[in-house]
Amino acid sequence: MTGQTATAVDPLQTTGRASRVRAPDVREPVLDLAGITKSFGALTALSEAALEVHAGEVLCLLGENGAGKSTLCNLIYGVFRPTGGEMRLGGAAYAPADPKAALEAGVGMVHQHFSVVPSMTVVDNLLLGRSRGILHRRLFAEEIRARAAEFGLEVDPWRVVKDMSVGERQRLEIVKCLMRRPRLLLLDEPTAVLPPEEIGSFLDVCRRIADGGGALILVTHKLAEVAKIADRTAILRAGRIVDTVPMASADMKAIVQAMIGRELGGATVAVGLDLAEHAEAAETDELPASAEASGKIPAATKSRPPDVLQIDALTYRDRNGAVRLDEITVEVRPGKILGIAGVEGNGQSELGLILAGLERPSAGRWFVGDREMTRASPAEITAAGVGIVPEDRHAVGAVVEMSVAENLCLQNLAQYTRFGLVRRGAMTAAAKDLIARYDVRGAGPETRFASLSGGNQQKVVLARELTLDPLVLLVAAQPTRGLDVGAVETVYGHIRSACGRGAGVLLISSELDELIAVSDRIAVIYRGRIVGEMPATQKNREAIGALMSGHAA
Amino acid sequence: MNLETLAVYIASTLHFALPLMLAASGELVSEAAGVLNLSLEGMMLFAAFFSVWGTSVTGDPWIGLLWGIASGIVFAILQAVLSVRLRANQLVVGIGLNILALGATTFLNREIFGALSRQLVPGFGHLHIPGLSTLPLLGPSLFQQDLVVYVGLALIVAIWFVLRFTAYGVACRAVGDDPRSADWAGISVTRVRSIAILVTGAMAGVAGTLISVGDIRTFTEGMTNGAGYLAIAAIIFGGWRLWPTVGACLLFGGAMALQFQFSAATSPVPTAALLMLPYVLALLSVAGLVGRQVPPAALTIPFFGSR
Amino acid sequence: MSGAASSAPASGLRIPAPGVVIPLAAIAASFVVGFALMALTGSNIGAAIGAFAQGAFGSAYAIGTSLNRAVALGLVGLGFILAERANLINVGGEGQIAMGGIFSTAVALYGGVKGLPYGLAVLLPLLAGTLAGAAWGALAGVMKIRFGTNEVISTLLLNFIAILLVYWSVQSVHLLRQPASFAGTLPQSLQVPPSTTLPLLTGNPADPLHIGAAVAVVLAIVTALVLRRSAFGLRLKAIGLSPTASHRAGIRTDALMVSVLALSGAFGGLAGAMMLLGDQGYLTAGFSSGYGFDGLVVGLLARGSAAGVAAVAIFFGFLRSGGISMQISAHVPAALVTIVQGMIVVAIAGSAILIERMGRRA
Repeated sequence: MTGQTATAVDPLQTTGRASRVRAPDVREPVLDLAGITKSFGALTALSEAALEVHAGEVLCLLGENGAGKSTLCNLIYGVFRPTGGEMRLGGAAYAPADPKAALEAGVGMVHQHFSVVPSMTVVDNLLLGRSRGILHRRLFAEEIRARAAEFGLEVDPWRVVKDMSVGERQRLEIVKCLMRRPRLLLLDEPTAVLPPEEIGSFLDVCRRIADGGGALILVTHKLAEVAKIADRTAILRAGRIVDTVPMASADMKAIVQAMIGRELGGATVAVGLDLAEHAEAAETDELPASAEASGKIPAATKSRPPDVLQIDALTYRDRNGAVRLDEITVEVRPGKILGIAGVEGNGQSELGLILAGLERPSAGRWFVGDREMTRASPAEITAAGVGIVPEDRHAVGAVVEMSVAENLCLQNLAQYTRFGLVRRGAMTAAAKDLIARYDVRGAGPETRFASLSGGNQQKVVLARELTLDPLVLLVAAQPTRGLDVGAVETVYGHIRSACGRGAGVLLISSELDELIAVSDRIAVIYRGRIVGEMPATQKNREAIGALMSGHAA
Repeated sequence: MNLETLAVYIASTLHFALPLMLAASGELVSEAAGVLNLSLEGMMLFAAFFSVWGTSVTGDPWIGLLWGIASGIVFAILQAVLSVRLRANQLVVGIGLNILALGATTFLNREIFGALSRQLVPGFGHLHIPGLSTLPLLGPSLFQQDLVVYVGLALIVAIWFVLRFTAYGVACRAVGDDPRSADWAGISVTRVRSIAILVTGAMAGVAGTLISVGDIRTFTEGMTNGAGYLAIAAIIFGGWRLWPTVGACLLFGGAMALQFQFSAATSPVPTAALLMLPYVLALLSVAGLVGRQVPPAALTIPFFGSR
Repeated sequence: MSGAASSAPASGLRIPAPGVVIPLAAIAASFVVGFALMALTGSNIGAAIGAFAQGAFGSAYAIGTSLNRAVALGLVGLGFILAERANLINVGGEGQIAMGGIFSTAVALYGGVKGLPYGLAVLLPLLAGTLAGAAWGALAGVMKIRFGTNEVISTLLLNFIAILLVYWSVQSVHLLRQPASFAGTLPQSLQVPPSTTLPLLTGNPADPLHIGAAVAVVLAIVTALVLRRSAFGLRLKAIGLSPTASHRAGIRTDALMVSVLALSGAFGGLAGAMMLLGDQGYLTAGFSSGYGFDGLVVGLLARGSAAGVAAVAIFFGFLRSGGISMQISAHVPAALVTIVQGMIVVAIAGSAILIERMGRRA
C-alpha cells in the first residue's frame, strides 16, 4: 500500500502550482449538492444549497458566523442528515448515515475542534477506527511517516498527542485524514487555531493535496486565505449560498459585500491582510478620534498623571518551568490604547491570564494606578476598576449556560442581594438597560448566553466590563476573534469609547492590521519578551511585522 | 513468622486476591471505556448465586461456572442498556442494580434452597503443576490450586493483551478519554462501551463463582460483602493500569490475609486498621500523595452523540 | 457546533407532567413485578399487602418509624442536591452518617453532656455528629481543590474508611466499646443516656416520631430557598457550570467548593446523629446499614428539587418499614421489597432521558 502511493503522487507533485490555472473542469464533480436544506426544529440552518466540487480543486466556503458553513460540512460528513435535497459523491447518490459511512465513502473532515485523543500516541490515534483485531503498530508507523512525507509533513508516530503543540496537532489532524486517501477533504476553519506563521505552510499542504487530485472544501472567514488558496469561493449568507465565484475574476470587496450583505462602514477595520494594504491611505486618515486628540507625541509640557497600568519586569514560568513571560515591562497611559502585537503563543495568553488574576507571576510586579495588583484575586482586580475581556469567551468570559442577566450581574452580585437573597427584579432591570445600551440583539435578560451569536456574546461581556465604575483600565485579549466583520467594528467602537472616557486600554491581538487601526502605540511580544514598541502607524507596519517574526530591530 | 506460616500466608493472600483481580481487571475494561460500574458488586453476587445453583442442578462446577458467567453477562446487559443506551446516570444505575441483586439473590436463595440451607455443592478439582507443585514449602501453596484459578489468571493475561495490542483496546481508551473524537473517527461509542460492560460482567461472573463454588461451595446472602467496591478501589489505586491494579489486589488480599494470620487478641494492629488500609492507600493515591493517578477523562460521563 | 443535541443539562429541568408521570409509572411497574413474584411463590397477596400497610402506616407507631427513616434519607438527599448544584457529586452519605454516628455517640457518652440544661444534652451530640459529617465532606472538598481528586471517587472511598472506623470504634475498648463487665462482650457501645436522646414530637412513647422530622422539614424549606433564591445558590450554580468563568467573576470557587461539600457532609452527619440519638441509641458495626446509599438515590431521583427529596424520602421510608412488617407477619421475604426498591431506582434512572426529552418538547 505504501509503495503504491509514492508512485501515484510523485508525478503530480512536480506539476505544483502550475496546475492552478487550468481550463474549467468538465469532468463529473466529486461532490454535487442539489437543493440541500437542513432545519433544526423551527430554525432553518441551511436552505436550498447547491454546490459542486471537482477533483484537484480548493473550494473556499466563506461566510459570517452562523451562516451555515459548519452545518453544511456536518451534512456532507454525515454528522447531520439533510431535511431535504440530494447529495451525489463521484456520480453516485450519497446519503451517509454517520461519519463512519462518510469516511468509508472517501470523505474526510478536519474539525474546528481537535479530534485526536490527547492521552494516546499518534500511531494509536491514527489506527483508531481503521484497524481490526491485532494491531501492527510498527508497520503502520512507517506508513504514517511515508504518507506525511508525501505532503512535506513530518510526524513522529510515537509521540503522545498531549505533548504536541497546537500546530503539530493540526498537522496530525490532516495526516489522519490523508491516511484514508479521501476523495474529498472538508476543513472546518482549520486556521482559527494556527499561529500566523504556520498558516502559510498549512495552505501549501492544502494546495499539494489538491494537486494530488483531491478535492478540498476549506471553511474560513479570513479573506487573505481565500485570496491565497481558493480556486473557487462559495459565499454563504443566512443559510443560503448567495454566490459562487471563480477566483480568477474575484474582487475581494465584492466578496466581502456578498458575505455581509451590506456596504462596509467608513472606518474599515481591517478584515483581511491584503485588503488592509489597499486601504492603507484611507485608514491613516481615519485614525480614532481619541488618538488624534491626544496626539501621538507625549505631552511633555503637561504634568504627567500616573499610568493606569504599569507592568514591571513580569516573569511567568509555566508548570513545566518553561519561561513564558520574560521580564515584561510596559505601561499604559490614561485614555490611550496600547496594542500588544505578536504571533500567537508568544506569551500573550499568559499575560492576559495574569492581568485577569487567573495566574500568578513568578517574578516582577504590576500596578493599576499606584495600587500593586501582583497577587490580587480576580475580585480585587475588578474592584480596582480593571475590565477584562478574556481571550476565551466561553470558558472565562461567561458562564455560557446561565442567562444574560445572571452573567451581567454575577461579578457584583452583592449589589443585587438582600438578606442573602437575590433581587431578581433589580437584576432584570439592570440587564435590560445594558442590553439596550450595548445593542445586544436577539436577547432578553433571561436568554441563555450560549444561544447568542459570537458578536452578541462579546457585547454582553463588554457591557459588563465597560460599565465598571470607575473604569480605569480595560484589558482586551483577542476581542474580535471569531467575530464577523460587522461585530468587529462594534467591538472596536466600544473599546474606543472607553478610551474616550479616560480609561487606558491594553489590547492584545494577533491581527496586526486591527492593532494598527485601533491602537496608539504597539508593543511587540516575541518569545515572552517585549522586543520593541513604536507608534501604531502604517509606516511602522513592516518594522512591527519584522519584530513579530523575531527579526530584532 | 517462620517459612511455613509464610507459605500459608502467601497462599491465603492469593486466595483473597484472585476474585478481586478478576473482577478488577474486568471492570478496568469498562472504566477505560468511560463506564464506572458500581454494579460490579451486584454482578459478582448474582454470579455467586447462579453458579451455586447451576452446580447444584447439574452436579458439575464447570457448568456452574458457565451459569455464573452467563448471569454476570445478563446483569451486565442491564447495566449496559441503562447506562450506555439510555444514558442513565451510571452511579444511580449501579447502586440500584446492587440493591436489586441483593434482593433477587436473597429471594431466590430462600425460594430454592430455603432460608437456612448450607447445602454444599461439588467444588473444582485441583491442578498440580508437575515439578513445581512438589517444591518444598511454596510449592503446594502456589502451584497446587484449583484449576479454575489458572483459568482466571489466563483471562487476566487475555485482557491485558486485548487492551494493549488490539484495535478494540485502543478504541476503549479513546472512548474513555475523548468519546467525541472516537465518534468522529468512526468508532461507535455505544458499541465499544456496551461490549466493555459485557466483558466486565463475564469477568465478574468468574470472580463471583470463585467466591461461592470455588471457595465455601455454597451461597450465603450478601456474600460478596463489598468485594466489588474493593475491586473498584484497586483500580483507582492501580491508576487505571492493569498490572498495577492486579498488584493492588494482591496488596488488598495481603491485608485481608493478615487479619486471619493474627487472632484478634494477639494482633499487633487492630484488624479494622488492616481492613482500612486498602481504602486509605487508594485514597492517598487519587490525592496524588502516592503516585499521581488520573482517571479516564470521560469516566461516568454519558455520551450523547454528535447528532 | 451541534447545539441541537449535544448539550444535555445534568439536572434541573422542572416540568411537572412528564417528570411526575414517568416516575409514577416506573414505581407502579415495579410494584406489579413485585406482586407477580409474590403470586409466583404462592404467597397470599392480600395478607402481604395488609401486612405491608400495617407496618408502613397502620398505626401511629408504624407511621412514626417510617417517617423517622424518611428523615435520615431526606437529610442525606438534601445534602446531595446542594452539592449537586455546584456540579459536585457527593456519594459519601454512608460515610458521613457513620462519622455522625461515631461522634454523636462519643459526645453523648463521654462528653459530660448528660446533665446539661436547655437541651444542650441533645444539641451538643447532634452538633458533634454534624461537624464530623461536615469534616468528612470537607475532606473530599480539600482533596479536590488541592490535588484535583474527583469527588465521586474520594467520597466513595471515604465511605468505606468511615464504616471501618465505626467497626474499629466498637471493637476497641479504648474507643467506644462497652466495658467487658456489661451484659456480655458484644462489640457495641453503651446505650446513650436518656437525656441525650431526641425528644419525641408528641411526647407519647407509642409514637416514636422525634423532633428530627420537624428539623428536617425546616431544613428542606431552607434548602429550597437557598437553591432557588439565594446569592449562595446562584454562585453554586455558576461554579457548577463554569469554575473558571466564576473565578474570573470574583467568586471564590475553591472556598465555595469546600464549603458546599462540608455542608453536604453536615447533612449526612446530622442524619447519622439523629439515627443514633433518635432511634438506635447505641453504636454498632454496620450502623449506617445502607441509609447513605439510599439517601444518595433519594437525592439523585429528586432531580435537584428539595420537594422531590421530601417526596422520595418519605416514599422510601414507608417502603422499608412495610417490607419489614411483611416479612414478619405475612412471611413474604423482605427481599421482595428490596427487589422492588432496586427496580424503582433502576427504572426511574433509566427513564430520565425520556423525561428530559419530553420536557424539552413541552
